[in-house]
Amino acid sequence: MNKTSKFWSIFSKTMMGLTLLFFYLPILYIIIFSFNGSKSLTRLDGFSLQWYEKMFADPVMMSSIGYTIAIALIATAVSTILGTFTAIGLSKSGKILRSSVERVNELPVMNPDIVTGISLLMLFSALAVSKGFMTMLLAHIMFCTPFVILSVMPKLRTLDPNLTDAALDLGATPFQAMTKVIIPQIKPSIIAGALIAFTMSFDDFVISYFVTGNGVQNISILVYTMSKRINPSINALSTLVIVIITISLIAVNLIPLIKRKAFDKEK
Amino acid sequence: MKKNSTVQKIARIALAAAALCSVFALGACSKKTDSAAASKYGSDTLKLYLPGAYTSDTLIPNFEKQFGVRVIVENFDSNEMMYAKVQAGDKYDVLIPSDYMIERLLKQDMLQKLDKSMIPNASELTDAVLNLSYDPKNEYSMPYFWGNVGIVYNTKNVDAEDIKAGYEIFQNEKYAGKLYWYDSERDSFMIALKVLGYSMNTDNKDEINKAYEWLLKMHDTVKPTYVTDEVIDNMSNGMKDIAIVYSGDAATILNANKDMSYVAPDQGTNIWVDAMVIPKNAENPKLANEFINYALSYEAALGNTKAVGYASANTKVLDEMTKEGGDFASNAAYRPRAGFAKDEIFHDNDVIRKMISELWIKVKAH
Amino acid sequence: MRINKFRLMTYPYIGWIIVMIVVPMLLIGLYAFTVPGNDVASVKFSLDNFARFATDAVFLKVVGKSLWIAFLTTVVCILLGYPIAYIISKAKGNKSMILILLLTLPTWINMLVRTYAWMGILQEGGVFSSICAFFGFEGVSLLYTDFAVTLGMVYNFLPFMILQIHTSLAKMDNSLLEAASDLGANRVQSFLRVTLPLSLPGVVSGITLVFLPAVSSFFIPKLLGGGQYVLVGNVIESQFLTAGDWHFGSAISLIMAIIIIISMWLTRKIDVQPKKEN
Repeated sequence: MNKTSKFWSIFSKTMMGLTLLFFYLPILYIIIFSFNGSKSLTRLDGFSLQWYEKMFADPVMMSSIGYTIAIALIATAVSTILGTFTAIGLSKSGKILRSSVERVNELPVMNPDIVTGISLLMLFSALAVSKGFMTMLLAHIMFCTPFVILSVMPKLRTLDPNLTDAALDLGATPFQAMTKVIIPQIKPSIIAGALIAFTMSFDDFVISYFVTGNGVQNISILVYTMSKRINPSINALSTLVIVIITISLIAVNLIPLIKRKAFDKEK
Repeated sequence: MKKNSTVQKIARIALAAAALCSVFALGACSKKTDSAAASKYGSDTLKLYLPGAYTSDTLIPNFEKQFGVRVIVENFDSNEMMYAKVQAGDKYDVLIPSDYMIERLLKQDMLQKLDKSMIPNASELTDAVLNLSYDPKNEYSMPYFWGNVGIVYNTKNVDAEDIKAGYEIFQNEKYAGKLYWYDSERDSFMIALKVLGYSMNTDNKDEINKAYEWLLKMHDTVKPTYVTDEVIDNMSNGMKDIAIVYSGDAATILNANKDMSYVAPDQGTNIWVDAMVIPKNAENPKLANEFINYALSYEAALGNTKAVGYASANTKVLDEMTKEGGDFASNAAYRPRAGFAKDEIFHDNDVIRKMISELWIKVKAH
Repeated sequence: MRINKFRLMTYPYIGWIIVMIVVPMLLIGLYAFTVPGNDVASVKFSLDNFARFATDAVFLKVVGKSLWIAFLTTVVCILLGYPIAYIISKAKGNKSMILILLLTLPTWINMLVRTYAWMGILQEGGVFSSICAFFGFEGVSLLYTDFAVTLGMVYNFLPFMILQIHTSLAKMDNSLLEAASDLGANRVQSFLRVTLPLSLPGVVSGITLVFLPAVSSFFIPKLLGGGQYVLVGNVIESQFLTAGDWHFGSAISLIMAIIIIISMWLTRKIDVQPKKEN
């Protein structure tokens, strides 16, 4: 027994180590090349901070970070709530309604982005909506929500329906049954769905390109449209994003800790 | 009550951050402008739609300062991406598409005439880019950058004799595996048609089929790697010996790697021009004309060509860059040849476009 | 009666998808079943677009290749993702959440930038070939090979697979495992009989999240495999853009949607079994 658990511990540590190496090798590469002395993305020529200067001096680059994060956060929040509620509703609905919504829901996931992008371009043009932040946000909610539903649905199907029924029999309102009984049980899949939605929104170029206007450009649009003369300022931008995300994640994890300590001291 | 979990905290902080970012991003847009400009031009904003990284860093800030206006810039990564949005009714004041795309926009009546009285700097343009077939009197367009398509090769690894064969070197087995081909159906068929001695604007299906066969043979004999813009970085680092490259990108490669040289083959090539136009639905055509005139000026054009590396349409700038001590002195790629009989401009042809697009897929998937 | 209240919750989304998904897709469908007429305004109904696709071997080859790459990516993602998700689910307390965040953080860097980084790592003279040179293998370049494409695809999609399998393993009822060991099952047996079947829904939704977008992806294959890596995503893109033939592009995407729906329907059959056991 001891031998197997020791083997298991070594195995899991090496596996995690290799996985993290695999995931962070390109990230490390991006960070290193953000300090490159020349324009090359693949060959190092000395150290310089010129790409950071270039990035901070460029208002379009700086505003693109703002747009990207704002849209990703709002789209993730909306699509997580919308997706979770819909998935719960679907799990209690008839088979025909459920499977037809599920099939439609899969369309944006499997269609090439260009098809989704062009179809939304036609929609917004037909409705004569002026394009910009709002249209981009709506489009992002549109393609993020399916990922949340796809993520939450399988877990919902394995839940015991009797639990919800029992809660309702005991006088809980459906809303209470949902927040107190269902949601706690599917929380991990909601988080997974939210993370995927965030990734999708953060990374999208093609759809965003077709639905934006008025100078609203996210990081992806910037990266793809400068692909011809792409340069390490993009790496500097990515490094800045890594720093922003890391700091906010640490903050989110530390603030409760500090609060708790302060609370303990008061006691 | 473990309900008030980290998840909710993350959500709360995230929403606060989103609000902050929106303010930050929108704040970047609301720069101070001049009300005098608004009364002079009817509006104080200019919407510019152009390829990514196609201006110097100072072009737009200087224009904004000088005229007291605000410029909204949006970028596209190909003429076709631009066309899709403009066709759908998106409004811009100035576009910078390529020759064949200008022809298509004109055919569909989507451009308006320029106000030549507002564009005195047009006199500084070089002859080679004026009065071309897509816009014979330059009533609708003012050239911005121009160039041709040719071969970048490593002088250390490629025999001078072999390169004399022009595009035929792409069927020379000696260089199998050492070539990059530019992954674009238009340029690919242009090359094949030129090798065979046809016009690159042919609508003769036999000629196109022969070109297709030439490309298939090329694909099978030398097995090139099909790349697009990665070619700039890869050739600068000398990853392969021969590549099809746009002259402007070749100029950048040649400046980065002294072993590389450039030739526009004798079989003829494609002369391309990217030019500024004003769409019919522009909201601020007066300011658009002002911008076009400004972008044609010596200082603006000099800054642009230095930053991007593409040949300027301004005669004085061309001379300045190629003279002794200029940024592109003795750079074989920077200044495109003018007046070569076999060089042509692309025409837009709906039927042929669809045909070669399908044939090109067949070549690559062969 | 009470069930209906839950059903009400789906109505906002149904309204939303009708406007944002169904209507736009109908427009695409309209393009697929028509060809341009003599002038711009007149179009006529036709099945030509589909016939053009079905009668040309090269398109079938391209579809086959796209499905194969997506399949390969999905299989590798399961083989790597399952053990990783399993290890994460065994981590104690906050540690598993931190590991999950660590694995998703790289996906928030732009895909093109990450792929450019891989190009630099894999090409001749890059990190990888330097390591090979150290062991005596000179001039190794992995860029523009099948390996590079698979690696890039797996890199992009693996986090989704891990997330999905992890969620199905995370809240697994430990009493079931204890019961299994009480009944004399060893670790392997209890894994095969209890853990694996219960985690299958996660695997299936992981497959959905990897396979569906992988079929139509083309930036990664194009950059890491070179332009000769023609996939259905490239064909559709070039029809919409360079060729400007929205009709044919729409038809191809419709055909692909049908192929994918059928293959997903087959996959879901796996999902039915654990439900019966419950």
